[in-house]
Amino acid sequence: MAQHPVTYILPDELDLEGLKKIISESNRFFEESPVKVKQTYYDSFDWRLWQAGEELYQEQGENEKLCWKDRKGQLLPSCQSIDSAPGFAEDLPAGQLKERLSKLLEMRVLLPLVQVNQTRNTLRVLDIEEKTVVRVVVQKNHYSAVKGKNRGELESRILLQPLKGYENAFLKLKQQLRSLKLRQSEKSLYEDALQGVGRKPGDYSSKLNFRLDPDAPAHATARQILLSLLDTLEANIDGTRANLDSEFLHDLRVSTRRTRSAMSQIKGVFDPAQLEPFKQGFGWIGQITGETRDLDVYLLNYPDYRASLPTAIQDDLEPFHGFLQQHHKTAQAELVKKINSPHFRKTLKTWRSWLQAPAENATQAPNAMLPTAKLADRRISKLYKRVLKDGRNIGADTPAERLHELRKDCKKLRYMMEFFQSLYPKPAIRGLIRALKVILDNLGEFQDLEVQAHSLEDFGEQMLKEGAPASALMAMGILVGKLLERQQQARAEFVELFTEFSGESNQQAFKQLFGAA
Amino acid sequence: MHIIGVYNIKGGVGKTATAVNLAYLAARQGYRTLIWDLDPQAAATFYFRIKPKVKKSKKLLRGKIDLDDVVKATDFENLDMLPADFSYRNMDLRLEDSKKPTKQLLKLLRPLSKAYDYLFLDCPPSISLVSENIFRAAEGLLLPMIPTTLSLRTYQQLLDFLQGHRITGLELMPFFSMVDRRKRMHLDIMQNFPDAHGELLKAQIPYASDVEKMGIHRMPVEAFSPNCFAASAYQALWMDVQERLG
Repeated sequence: MAQHPVTYILPDELDLEGLKKIISESNRFFEESPVKVKQTYYDSFDWRLWQAGEELYQEQGENEKLCWKDRKGQLLPSCQSIDSAPGFAEDLPAGQLKERLSKLLEMRVLLPLVQVNQTRNTLRVLDIEEKTVVRVVVQKNHYSAVKGKNRGELESRILLQPLKGYENAFLKLKQQLRSLKLRQSEKSLYEDALQGVGRKPGDYSSKLNFRLDPDAPAHATARQILLSLLDTLEANIDGTRANLDSEFLHDLRVSTRRTRSAMSQIKGVFDPAQLEPFKQGFGWIGQITGETRDLDVYLLNYPDYRASLPTAIQDDLEPFHGFLQQHHKTAQAELVKKINSPHFRKTLKTWRSWLQAPAENATQAPNAMLPTAKLADRRISKLYKRVLKDGRNIGADTPAERLHELRKDCKKLRYMMEFFQSLYPKPAIRGLIRALKVILDNLGEFQDLEVQAHSLEDFGEQMLKEGAPASALMAMGILVGKLLERQQQARAEFVELFTEFSGESNQQAFKQLFGAA
Repeated sequence: MHIIGVYNIKGGVGKTATAVNLAYLAARQGYRTLIWDLDPQAAATFYFRIKPKVKKSKKLLRGKIDLDDVVKATDFENLDMLPADFSYRNMDLRLEDSKKPTKQLLKLLRPLSKAYDYLFLDCPPSISLVSENIFRAAEGLLLPMIPTTLSLRTYQQLLDFLQGHRITGLELMPFFSMVDRRKRMHLDIMQNFPDAHGELLKAQIPYASDVEKMGIHRMPVEAFSPNCFAASAYQALWMDVQERLG
């Protein structure tokens, strides 16, 4: 039977010498010289590894390695040697670790979160051949913040580590230590260290997860939603400014879009005149962030673009990559200027103080005092009906603009369902959001591919002026063809997908949840 | 999983030392590594202080028990071992009884491919059904050769065997082992051999007392004498192998 390692907390009344004495009563062991290591724990800004139940740290001691551990699985970490701090998964050396991390992290960069300085005393319990059969590791731990002076001591730990094929020796030692009444550690060293520096795992997520009161007046709920969106937006400013990864800007833009959608779709809860300057402000934020995001998307898609071409001409596309990188650099610099501008700061600051202002001055607006649940029902049914009507009128010859319009309405509907999802039974609303997402993906593909194809043509013209080789432009031409082909395919799939979405069972479900017809 | 056989028709050419030291280097680099001691002499098993005994070894060869259940951890991180067993001396006979006698080993190893990045097979000398199985299972074959005329002859024998049995796609990696630079013949052979054999690896393992001392310390050279000449020779060899296997 395979055994899992066990970690105990070293009690105050026991030290290394005491432990050695007890072990030596029935075992021979070899004491290794103490080793000092520094562990730096990493995760993405949105805690993707934590959410997947994993821990990742870089260990610097005799040699440098990156170790990966299942938080609950009680297994020992798997490690791989690296020669620089980890960043993007794609830059890691090839191997199992890279494969696993790529899937979880995608485009997100790893950020250092906390450090642990560890002194390890290892006792190797030996058999008659002087072969190690169990390892006992006493760990003294100190945490420290990655930046700043926050540091402190953590509980010392005893790790009992079984060796494959020597399980009996492990069980025997565990039995011998039973008299010490050691307490098993509940939290991992990582969790302890995070607590030390005042971080809480999962303290940022881009997902909407409001807990709303169905009876609260609608204007208060709207403020709650908008404030939370503002928090998310602001949390992403530093990462966007430093361009740590493309997802900071993306999340910043999504919260901007959601804010604009909430302002217009949670109707009649605020004074429109007061809201107007903020609508303009967030419109402006959407505008100034657009170009960099577009270029981010092209850069993220680049490997796929390249792979979609015949192997013989894949290299021809390289000048386009260079063009994108060059323009991204310029756009990013421009964006940073805007983010650092007084106008940007003032827009967010006045918005926050307006949202936090006492409710009395808020409103005579018609829906302000409506119970939240009622407003949510009403708005969602209305948007759903509009989506149904417009979607059904779309046939093979309908102009593309009508599909773009439908996409906008579907997005509004989705945001509203996501804002208010806590008011409804979880499986039911999740199911409907998923169903809507199928339509949104299809419409998104249709529109995005068209936009991409047109932008590629524009880029091509710019590149021509900048003296790009003809082979690059020809490769881009082939790429445009491929994109338009895929776009047509998305279009062809729409009617069938929408028929399914607008079918009887979803209609019933909408009606049941929101009272829609 | 990369499967690397370490083999020579002749014994006493530094085969086990190669398997043990390279497996150690692979593991230290972070690769999950397994070394299977297929030689009933059990030298590799001895170097890792493991008892040369496999529970139900006959069943093991018939694929009736999980290889993973008989694996032993060595004293080194990431490095596990399938120890030798005296019954391996009859492996030929057992393989002959099976349905596809030349591909039996490959079948046995398949379940391990997810658990390990590198598998080193320390092979018994001589050409037999066991070696043929190894040739068919491995991606690369490391061939330590003492630079003597007799070694060259056995290398040619191996090439003939592979050709005769239509074994293709096996990356042959001969290299010079137990090199004594004071011997004229060693130097001559090392100078001429590469002309006809581009597959020769550049690294050479010297005839060194540190390698022999592995038997006293019972661990890889790198683990007890990391700065010695032999240790750096094995490092160079491991780099050559990684480069060759890509």
